[in-house]
Amino acid sequence: MRSIFTTVAAAALSATALSAVLPTDASAGGVLRLDEVAVGELDPGKASDYADSILMFNVYDTLVLPKQGGPGHVPHLAESWESDGNSYTFTLRTDVKFQSGNTMTADDVVFSLDRMKTLGQGLSYLFGIVESAEAVDANTVKFNLSQPSAAFVASLVRLPIVDKATIMANLGDGDGDMKDWGQAYLSANGAGTGAYKVTSHNPQEETVMEKNADYFLGVADVAPDTVRLRYGLEAATVRTLIAQEEHDISSQWLPPEVIKALAADGAQLLSESGTGAFYVKMNTTKPPMDDVNCRLALSKAFDYEAAIKMIAITDEISQGSPSTGGIPVGMFGANPADAILARDMDAAKQHLADCQHSPDDFTLELSWIAEVPLEERFALLMQANFAELGIKSEIKKLPWALFSEQVSKPENTPHISQLFVNAVTGDPDTLLYGQYHSSAAGTWQSPEYLNDAEVDKHLDAGKTSTSDADREAAYAALNARLMEIAPSIYGYDRNSVFAASNRVRVPALSDPEKAFGLDGMGFSFRLMEMTE
Amino acid sequence: MSPVVRLLAHRLGMSLIVLVGVSMLIFAIARIIPGDPARIALGPNATPEQVENLRQALHLDQSIVVQYGFFVADLLRGDLGVSLYTNRPVIADIAQFLPATLELVLAAGIMMIGIGLPLGIISARYRGRWPDNLVRLVSLLGVSAPSFVWAVILMLLFAFFLPIFPIAGRISDIYSIEAVTGFLLIDTLIAGNVAAFGDAAWHIVLPAFALAVSGIGQAARLTRANMVETYDKPYIEMARSYGFPDRRIANRFAFRPSLIPALTIIGLDFAAMLGNAFLVEAVFAWPGLSRYGVAVILRKDLNAIVGTVLIISATFLIMNIIVDLLIAFINPRIRHSQRPA
Amino acid sequence: MRRTIAILLQNPLSLLGVTLVTIVVLSAIFADFIVPFPDHKGAVVDFANFNKAPEWPYIFGTDLVGRDMFSRIVYAYRISLILGIVVLAIAVPIGVTVGLVAGYLGGWTEYALMRVTDVFLSVPPLVLAMSIMGVLEPTLLNGMMAVTAMWWPWYTRLVYNITRAEKEEGYVLAAEVIGASKLHVIFREILPNCVPAIITKMTLDLGFVIIIASSLSFLGLGVQPPTPDLGSMVADGAKYLPDSWWLTVFPGLAILAAVFGFNLVGDALREILGADQ
Repeated sequence: MRSIFTTVAAAALSATALSAVLPTDASAGGVLRLDEVAVGELDPGKASDYADSILMFNVYDTLVLPKQGGPGHVPHLAESWESDGNSYTFTLRTDVKFQSGNTMTADDVVFSLDRMKTLGQGLSYLFGIVESAEAVDANTVKFNLSQPSAAFVASLVRLPIVDKATIMANLGDGDGDMKDWGQAYLSANGAGTGAYKVTSHNPQEETVMEKNADYFLGVADVAPDTVRLRYGLEAATVRTLIAQEEHDISSQWLPPEVIKALAADGAQLLSESGTGAFYVKMNTTKPPMDDVNCRLALSKAFDYEAAIKMIAITDEISQGSPSTGGIPVGMFGANPADAILARDMDAAKQHLADCQHSPDDFTLELSWIAEVPLEERFALLMQANFAELGIKSEIKKLPWALFSEQVSKPENTPHISQLFVNAVTGDPDTLLYGQYHSSAAGTWQSPEYLNDAEVDKHLDAGKTSTSDADREAAYAALNARLMEIAPSIYGYDRNSVFAASNRVRVPALSDPEKAFGLDGMGFSFRLMEMTE
Repeated sequence: MSPVVRLLAHRLGMSLIVLVGVSMLIFAIARIIPGDPARIALGPNATPEQVENLRQALHLDQSIVVQYGFFVADLLRGDLGVSLYTNRPVIADIAQFLPATLELVLAAGIMMIGIGLPLGIISARYRGRWPDNLVRLVSLLGVSAPSFVWAVILMLLFAFFLPIFPIAGRISDIYSIEAVTGFLLIDTLIAGNVAAFGDAAWHIVLPAFALAVSGIGQAARLTRANMVETYDKPYIEMARSYGFPDRRIANRFAFRPSLIPALTIIGLDFAAMLGNAFLVEAVFAWPGLSRYGVAVILRKDLNAIVGTVLIISATFLIMNIIVDLLIAFINPRIRHSQRPA
Repeated sequence: MRRTIAILLQNPLSLLGVTLVTIVVLSAIFADFIVPFPDHKGAVVDFANFNKAPEWPYIFGTDLVGRDMFSRIVYAYRISLILGIVVLAIAVPIGVTVGLVAGYLGGWTEYALMRVTDVFLSVPPLVLAMSIMGVLEPTLLNGMMAVTAMWWPWYTRLVYNITRAEKEEGYVLAAEVIGASKLHVIFREILPNCVPAIITKMTLDLGFVIIIASSLSFLGLGVQPPTPDLGSMVADGAKYLPDSWWLTVFPGLAILAAVFGFNLVGDALREILGADQ
């Protein structure tokens, strides 16, 4: 992992040096074209996946931003904040205007939180502990929490501030005073303070955005004037378009071979790492996965080395690094980077012998998410790995929407699901609580239906303790427990790799000193630089 | 009433009955879906109450007959419901994607007739000689692979290895053309932008040809077969004995009567193209109904599935009626068959 | 019969067709003995040899988990043929029966049955099969059901037209006069006269069923991995164009070869059987 960073950093340094020599064209800007697989959800209250996040981070702003190049957060729409444990008070900037021209006030912040909590979609669960928000005066807003939380400030990066006046003027059909809370309007229009305005939005084709000249922080001339975020392009199309310089940044979901071919053609590779991992999740309510020994048998039979080989792009850059346990290296509670997991067939056989279910009695369902072709290969890898233990399995392809519907009932949830999970706010709490706490069972992140008192205890301790040492201890204990009861196979630590043309420089995705440590934030277009 | 009008009225009535049948069929198929569409629509984090509310709003809690009743009532008001996938009215989604598909199918249809018929005529004229054998071989090859195979092969040859044609999309993104009809080849002309028109035309060549290949083969085979049959008719013998030149005989005496049965089948092939367009669109990232259709099917989006299939079927029926009318105009036997009643 | 075969083997094109069909059928039947890597039909991974361009012993290259493309294509033929045969075995009797009954009985029965047939014929075939597959779990069995559901009406149309012509013929009238039951007339008198047309159509259709089934799996609505399937191979491989061209080109050509073979034979049969009548 370190070697990746060094290489990328070196590349970034040389790029910076180069730009110092070549004066940047003042009229730069130009069009930036990138793509994402999923349908882009423009309503920031419903944003949850990567495409949604890219839209949200550019059209809307949040009270705080993650600090670049290190842990912690810095003020953004807020000027400062203070806390007395159960409440947080934020002082807002007074110079921020929405794209509509309205001035942003504390009222808008309160409205944004209420809207998010009422709709109850996307990542609104992050704000479950927020009991209320009140506007103390026009520029002061106070959040009251039900319990102290070390992760609250971090969670604010997922609270986009929306323009109350514009939304109230555009309410659609619905019951009650608030009608539809502007859902119809916000699914097609932007109402934020962000550096980019939406000029057209078609959830399956593309969203076109243009620079907001009145952005409160200003936007550099070299940042793209127009951005076209395209959806659902085929890998082969992206591959050719980038090679022909008709496309600029690929999604992270390109198969490794395609990224490799692009790199060989001279494309630059951008990356984002450290906040997530690839998890193979086992439904602990369904025999034989209800027996810890059967789960351990599968964990030991999984070929970790083959997995790493599968995702390698070049000798230096890979879509992941070896896993050391339930928590990615670099986060609280992670095991040391050299304690990597390895296949152990003898141990696997022993565990299987101890399992109360015999392989003759079951056939495992191995599911994979249709939108991520790489997972099909993992399904095949597992099928071959488990067959060596005498375990039969069948492979099932599930489109994302269907998968997230099936996991809402334990009996419909497949034995094995493959998921990329990341800390949506950069904090380990948001990576782990949703996956393993018994109260969060049955969402797309938690098809394990894990119900383990000890895991719950450590997760609660990690969430509420406020000192770093306590949190480290809580998550280390959690990690140990997760290894012991093996609800998941911990595949590898994820490193998202994007292939890009050389028309654009993206410091936040190529220079570790500028990295945000939050998925999707690297795609802040205002921080990108067009080179022609 | 002239025979043509009567034919039209008869065909329209028939089509209406068929369309009602199609709507019942598709509705029945869509409602036996396993899994809860409301849950799928609301996504992973919705509460049980929200799911229940949506189920009620969509009438999913009532019997299928009642649901069909609601559906027909809505349909008569031009309302196909809201897509659970895009959160937009299905009719708006279809209105947005259908023109691209139709444009592709029409371009392919023109290629099918423009290339397939002449090939068939050549084949019949040189019956038994090498042009005939060549055309027969090529046209049989054409009908022997699904259109996605042709799409992939053409793309590989003429977009990757010889980068002559663009690899994806309908138009380069440097042009922004106001959508009037949704048909880019028309909209660019309305906008008076010749460069954009050329660009759009350039984009449509490969996908349309991939879609047309098997149709071209089919058209050539049919034309040949029918012309060979007419060549054997006594009146052609007679024309020959009168000393009419071969070309005249081919064009005038053999082609016209052969065209009628060929056109009937070509009309059916048009319809098959509406389905096959799904395959070609997937390969060329053509922003038509295909991606939408496949996406809504994979996501079990009831309203959108029913709406999409219904509209495609209606389009299909309309195309068939148009073909029938064309044939009626060409065929003197129908045109003059009866005096006004 | 013997004469038919003799004619088939004389014409170079139909000889080519017979050869192609024989190769496809025999290789599907004896796949286990022909292919170099019989276990590659299933979930085998070999990351030492993945994504290899054609080279010995992988004459068609290897896929992204290191399986031999040639072996998988041969096994895919087996699946396609089974699917084609099963679909026709179900669709033809249904379609033929409906066509015979509608054509012979006439009146309201005819009207109702033919309108139902029209309904099925009014949805482009692929779209109908797609919507059925979208509802069902994508498995081989369901794939067969979906294709069958769209296939029978074509036989209904064919047989219906023949029946309508035949029922005015003297031999039918004669049978009616001597008091033969309707069942007897339909199945003993009229049906035999439809057989040549049905057989010809079935030969041609075997190719078309392969096309439709591969189209479904191309869209992700067909047979699921690790079962080898030509359509899904093309679809999966298309993501890796143009670099890994062998992943799409060989399965694509495999479909072409098989269907071309069936079409050549079907064409020849049509000429021979048509001339015999």
